[in-house]
This record gives sequence, structure tokens and C-alpha cells, in this order.
Amino acid sequence: MEDIILRTTELTKKYDNRVVVDGLNLEIKKGEIFGLLGPNGAGKSTTMNMICSIVRPTAGTVNLLGKNPWKQKKEVIHKIGYIPQELAIHGKLRAWENVELFTSLYGIKGNKLKQTVEESLEYVGLLEKRNEFAGKFSGGMKRRLNIACAIGHQPELLIFDEPTVGIDPQSRNFILEKIKDSNRNGATVIYTSHYMEEVEAICTRIAIMDNGKIIACGTSEELKRLVREDGDDITLEEVFLTLTGKRLRDYGE
Amino acid sequence: MNIGYLIKNNIKLMLRNKWIIVVMILGPVFVIAILSSAFEDLMKSYEKVDSFYVGYSVEQQSVFADYMDQIKVAGEESGMIFTEYPEGDPEELMRKNELAGFVEFGQDRYVLYQSADYKIEGITLEYFISRIVGQAAGNILQAGTAPEMDLPVEELEYMPAVDSKDYYGIVYIVYFIWCGIVCISGVLSSEKKNGISKKFQVSPISGTNLFLSKWIPCVGVIAGGMAVAILVCVWMFGIKWGNILWSILILLLSVMAATAFELFIYYIFNNLAVTIVAVFTVVWVMGFVGGSFETYMFSSIPEGIKKLSPIYYIDRVLVEYSCMGESSYTGSCILFMLAIIIICAAGALFVDKMRKGGRA
Repeated sequence: MEDIILRTTELTKKYDNRVVVDGLNLEIKKGEIFGLLGPNGAGKSTTMNMICSIVRPTAGTVNLLGKNPWKQKKEVIHKIGYIPQELAIHGKLRAWENVELFTSLYGIKGNKLKQTVEESLEYVGLLEKRNEFAGKFSGGMKRRLNIACAIGHQPELLIFDEPTVGIDPQSRNFILEKIKDSNRNGATVIYTSHYMEEVEAICTRIAIMDNGKIIACGTSEELKRLVREDGDDITLEEVFLTLTGKRLRDYGE
Repeated sequence: MNIGYLIKNNIKLMLRNKWIIVVMILGPVFVIAILSSAFEDLMKSYEKVDSFYVGYSVEQQSVFADYMDQIKVAGEESGMIFTEYPEGDPEELMRKNELAGFVEFGQDRYVLYQSADYKIEGITLEYFISRIVGQAAGNILQAGTAPEMDLPVEELEYMPAVDSKDYYGIVYIVYFIWCGIVCISGVLSSEKKNGISKKFQVSPISGTNLFLSKWIPCVGVIAGGMAVAILVCVWMFGIKWGNILWSILILLLSVMAATAFELFIYYIFNNLAVTIVAVFTVVWVMGFVGGSFETYMFSSIPEGIKKLSPIYYIDRVLVEYSCMGESSYTGSCILFMLAIIIICAAGALFVDKMRKGGRA
């Protein structure tokens, strides 16, 4: 039996009477790159926030690495690397200081910390810029630094929440390559995005989310076959259109 | 876990906000320079005087007649010896009998004469009489009679001989300490704006450590900034701090209490702009009551209200150290500061736990 790294059961989040995530059932296996695809406002980030124990669910359960992250946070938190949609870095700290700050939160210190900081910066191609202030970085470099701040403790599960928003194609390709690279090195990846081509390019399985619900889940080919039996000559955009009756760009992206 | 790196980086962030550091150091220096010279003459009245003689006369139906025995006792305890002169011209009586002042108590008003040869004594007498009249008027208005009067002897006892430079040099260091939230505003703003607080939630750092990682560097930076401001003021204005070791202890406790209080307010509102407005408003009121603007010795604010302000305790203790070398308020000041530190830190952690636990 394949290891299940994350399972959500009827996961629900309501704000007042508005249902943002509606009875979500997900299973993510160890070693996958799992893509959560959907337009802005679909509930992807709220789902990630509930999985990471940032937002408490209204109903349902989360089982992360065999634990309840709300009750056994200490036991699972070391194994997660969370890359939020926001650029969670201090502009007035140098690149290495940012990585040091976030890596030290996981109990790494002294020479080991120094070494980890160097390795993390090298991994995202920012070693030469280590002494520059993060505030002076381009959008793409900030995104890469954001990743470097989350990988130093070598997490089993990497959660990327829209990591390529607002950056140039080169930086985007670099980040996607690094995500695949992390997965090859053994990390399971959850990747949320509203860019279909990115999700299709790197994810082994994809869940399409709309209005707080998973409307389809499977490999890219399986999703395409939901629309056309042979699955040929069809894009994920067309799959999304067929399943939701809307195009992603209808959401104003 | 080791929060040393977090503390170190928060200190770096605070120190890189150069303008705020400059304002924190130069702010008190400027305010002290302006206020100490503006109130120089007024503060001369704080110089301690030896016993002096005061003459008085009372009309038969005067509302003060019932209080005269108490006034004399209170005056004696404050170094004023009252002697009755039922008849005669006040100015002539003052000249002949070497009186520092003369008070004519009329039906419901009084006339105060001050001798040009006893200026400081005259100001002290004026303060004493104005306090008594205020007290008596209050009693009469409340009771419609002349009941037992609680004279402000205690307040006169702590009229220290402090000059305006020492007084404002001390109280504005205290006031700026309580505005210290600005030092960490850059860190708080960056954490909120960049979603760093959210990222902390997906890390092993506990709420207590997170609080300490802000509180400790903030205390360090404010204490360092104020130490520089104090040294500059001592060098420029020659401010006397009296009991140095005890003053340092009280100042350090004040920084710790002020920082805990300000972080508590931030944890409640979770919004930096609202926090700064709220903190500055509360600190202004505490300063107003506690002697940051009008000196606490001559302030007309009732003693009970003054004692609600932590700034009052700090100002009073430090001013008394400066001019008397000791203060009977030291113990209560330390207890007040410790209570603020404990209650505010616990309150902040409680609010944080509630917010994270029930985060919508």
C-alpha cells in the first residue's frame, strides 16, 4: 500500500455564511507532486492554510504525516516546508540573514546553520547575492529567496502556494525545475496554482478546485479523458471549461 | 529551540531603521532642552526653604474661620509658622515682623501678600494656600458645611528641591521610554505585510518564544537608545540622576514594562497603526496624570488618580532620587512595573493563543 502523506476528510471552512472550502476529501501519496488547480477565490490557499494549521477548519479533519496538525503540531511541523503566496522575507535583512532567521526556527544552529544557509542559497541560485538586501531583489529573486527560507530543514513535505505569481518566465522555469528537483530528492510536493501549463508540466496528479470543491482529480491524462475518451488534443483549460462551464481567465486573471 | 538568531535579526532590523533610532535619541534631548528652559523660573519654587513666618487675619464670618487651627498645624508641618494679626496694614506688618507673607481671609475669599525679600517662600505659601482653598471649597460644595478637612500636607512633603533641567531631563526620558513601540514598528510592519507571522505559525516556534523574540530586542534597543539620550543630556544639561544604580534599575524595569504593555496592545489589535494611536493616547494620558507635562508636585490632579499612572510612580521615584537620594515610592514602583510586565506578557500570550486557536 502506498504511503498516504496527507488525507483530508470532509474539510470545510465557512466565513460567516460563506462556504470557502466545502467538504474537501483529498489523499496525497508520498513522493507525489500534487497540483491543486483553480482560479483565485477557489479556496486553494484556505485549504493550504487549514492543512498547515494556520486556519482552523469549521468541520472535517486533516491527517498530515499520520498526525492531526492541530493537536500534534510539534510532531509534524518539522517535516513541513511552507512557501506562502506572500513574499515572507524581510526586505531590510540580507539574503543570508533571511535564510538564517527562518532556518534557525527549526533548531539548526552554529556551523550547521551556516552550512545550511549556504546550501539553501546555492540551491536557489542566490549564493552570489547572499550579502545583498532582500528588499533590493527582483520579484523572481525574492520568490527564490522565499523558497530558500523554507527548505533548510529538509522537509518531507513541501507546500508551495502560488510560488510563481508575478515573476518573469526565466525565474518561473527555474522555480519549477527546483520543485521537480526537490521531488527527485525525496520530498513530496503540494503545489497550488492557477496557471494550468505549470501544473500540467510538473504535477503527477492534479485536483481541479472551484467554489471550494474538488470537481475532478487524477493525472493530467485521466482528467483529459473525463472530457474526451481518447484524451488527445485537449488542454487542461478545456477540461476546466467543460467541468465548470467557465474559463480560468473569466475570473479576471 | 534557540531564539537567539531571531532576536539577533530583529535587533538588526530595528537598528537599520535609522530615522526611528535618531528620533528616539534626539527626541528627548530636544524636548528636555525646550521644556527645562521654558519652566526654569517656575521650577525655582521647588527649592527647599527653611521655616518661615506668615501673618494672617480672619474676618468673623469667614468660611475659613473653622479651618484655621488645621491650617496652622498643616502649615507648621510644612515649615510655615502662622501668626494671627487681627489688626494692622499687612504690608507694614510684614516689614516690621519679617514675615514672608500675609493672608487676609475674607468672607469667602482671601488676599495673599508676598514679600519681595522672600520670593521662594512666597511661591511656596501661594501653593499651600491655593491647595487649602481648593480643598476647602470642595468640602463646602460637597457637604455644605465645614467638616474635617484633609489638608494636602503629604503633597507638600514631597516638594523636592529639583530644578527644571533635572525634572524634565528625567521625566522625558521616562515618557520616551513609554513611546518605544516605534522602535519595533518596522519589524511588526514587515512581519504583517509580508505574511511572515503566518509563516511563523508553520514553524516550531512557540507563542512564548515569538513574544520574547520581540520583547527582548525591543527592550535592548530602547534601553540602549535611552542610555545614549541620557548621556547626551547629562553632558549637555548636567542633569543629576542621584542614586545611579537604583535609577538604572527603575529605568530598566520601566523599559521592560512599557515594551510588554505596547506589545500587549499590538497583540490585541493586530494592527500597527491602531496600536500606535492607542499606545500614544494612553501614554499621553498617563503622562498628563503622572507629571510629564505639569509637574506632579504642583499638579491639581487628585492623588488617587495620579496613582493609577505608572509614569507617576517612575517620575516620582527618579525625581526624588535626583534631589533627595532616596524615595519611599521605590517599592511600589518596582511592584507596579513587575505587575505590568507579568500581566501584559500573559495577556499578550493569551490573546495570541485565542487568535491562533480560533483563527477564521
